[in-house]
Amino acid sequence: MIRNIQSFRYPATLTMATVLAACAVTAWAQPTPDELLDRMNYVVNVVDYEGTVIRTENGESEALRIVHKIIDGVIHEKLVSQEGSGLEIIRIGNEVHCILPDKQTVLIEDWNNQSTLFSALPSSEIRYGADYDVLIVREDRVAGRQAIMLAIRPHDEFRYGHRIWLDEVTSFPLKTEIVSVDGELIGQVMFADIRIGSNISKDALAPSMSLDNFSWFREPAGYDAVDVDTNWESSDLPSGFRATSSKTEQLPGADAPVTHVVYSDGMATVSVFIAEKNEAQFAEKSNVGASNTYSIQQGDFQITAVGQVPAATVRRIATSMQQN
Amino acid sequence: MNDALKMQISAFVDGELPENESELLMRRLSQDAALRQQVSQYLDIGRRMRRDRDVSGMDQLRGRIAQALGDGQAQPDDEPKVVGSRLMTPSTGVAVAATVAALALVGLSQIQGPVDPLLQRAVAIDDGPIMYTEPAIDQVLADQPSEMLMQYYLSHGDSSPGLGPNGIRARVISLESRELIEVGPDPHLLPAAAAEPNEEEKSAVNTP
Repeated sequence: MIRNIQSFRYPATLTMATVLAACAVTAWAQPTPDELLDRMNYVVNVVDYEGTVIRTENGESEALRIVHKIIDGVIHEKLVSQEGSGLEIIRIGNEVHCILPDKQTVLIEDWNNQSTLFSALPSSEIRYGADYDVLIVREDRVAGRQAIMLAIRPHDEFRYGHRIWLDEVTSFPLKTEIVSVDGELIGQVMFADIRIGSNISKDALAPSMSLDNFSWFREPAGYDAVDVDTNWESSDLPSGFRATSSKTEQLPGADAPVTHVVYSDGMATVSVFIAEKNEAQFAEKSNVGASNTYSIQQGDFQITAVGQVPAATVRRIATSMQQN
Repeated sequence: MNDALKMQISAFVDGELPENESELLMRRLSQDAALRQQVSQYLDIGRRMRRDRDVSGMDQLRGRIAQALGDGQAQPDDEPKVVGSRLMTPSTGVAVAATVAALALVGLSQIQGPVDPLLQRAVAIDDGPIMYTEPAIDQVLADQPSEMLMQYYLSHGDSSPGLGPNGIRARVISLESRELIEVGPDPHLLPAAAAEPNEEEKSAVNTP
């Protein structure tokens, strides 16, 4: 089985002590918001932690138990839903196993992201000052720990705002929120309890049940995307957005491959799908949770923009796509 | 299917249809395979909206329909399975399954589009200790995203594979709509100690 773990290799000698020492160097001085975010992005990739997370979206909450450990530079992560059918997600490097106890099934997927829990954290590509302001709001208390609350506020209506509560000692994100321009809460991930730097045994990362009689599935390789240069581009991107990838994909149920262009401002991501027009028409706009879509027909093509951004953003990008 | 019939089926599934109308509907169901299929999908949607948890009310309804039909055709679990994936059920089909996946994931009230105001009714269902509020089934069907739009959501989720609306949970719930190949167990996930609960889990099990 192929395992691509290169992108998840971190110095094996890093320990919690190293992290704390690094934080202590600058602890005597008030860190800037940028420094706090840099620490956060570093610490989520190097420390071991376990705890209970409450995830809220669209008014619904769900409790998840998470265990995260770096072994020989490779991320090992186990996430167990505390409700419903007891879904377990076990990650070893890039390979993710989704265990569905009620269906006696394991689904294997390959991911290229660094964390199941923190996929929405701001990256270093975000243009603070240009598209977002980042500021320290106040001190707070989360999961029994002192925290510093950061706010990332967009300059315009084309992206959502974020609030992040960072552990005062380690800068680990204890709580994150996505909010609309008018302050409405869209999504939240919050630790109810957490142990950072705890000694986690390998057993804690193993499945909680025997998988002897389970069936194992993965998607056929044919659905892999192929990177391509495309002549499609948006002529009216909102400030700060830029193309980060373009590829063709053969999606299930589609007669022909679609072109998939991704735009990002470092925080928000919008996918644009360009497909040959067929009889199946989409609603012009729709939304699923915090994600919005906008679809238009242009000549022989149907163009659909999808992203966890306000509706105005997907509309503007979809309607401005053109071929050079 | 016209709106009146949708409303009638919705009321029937919710147990709100008067007895005489129920009998008429049953008679019609016994003669109309497509309609039976539709009711079957309604029941399936209700189940999935509760994240596949067992719901005694739904089971009773399934039994009620099966009894009324006398042949159990309204029970999707009795349908033959598609070869190639044990997860796929032909009674729902790809499009419906993908739609249901999204609906179950984010809550049906989150799907917005050109909606008939008459379909905005929400039905509160007492489902044991937790109260759920779900939109009427006819609203679900009116607002469902297309299969391809669902695929777009899932593909977009590859760039954000976390737990968000495009992330892992969406893909897990959409299993039935995906073509998958069966593979052997991953030995990395089957250590000898895998079946043994860790200390914390042991103590949790022993806690009354």
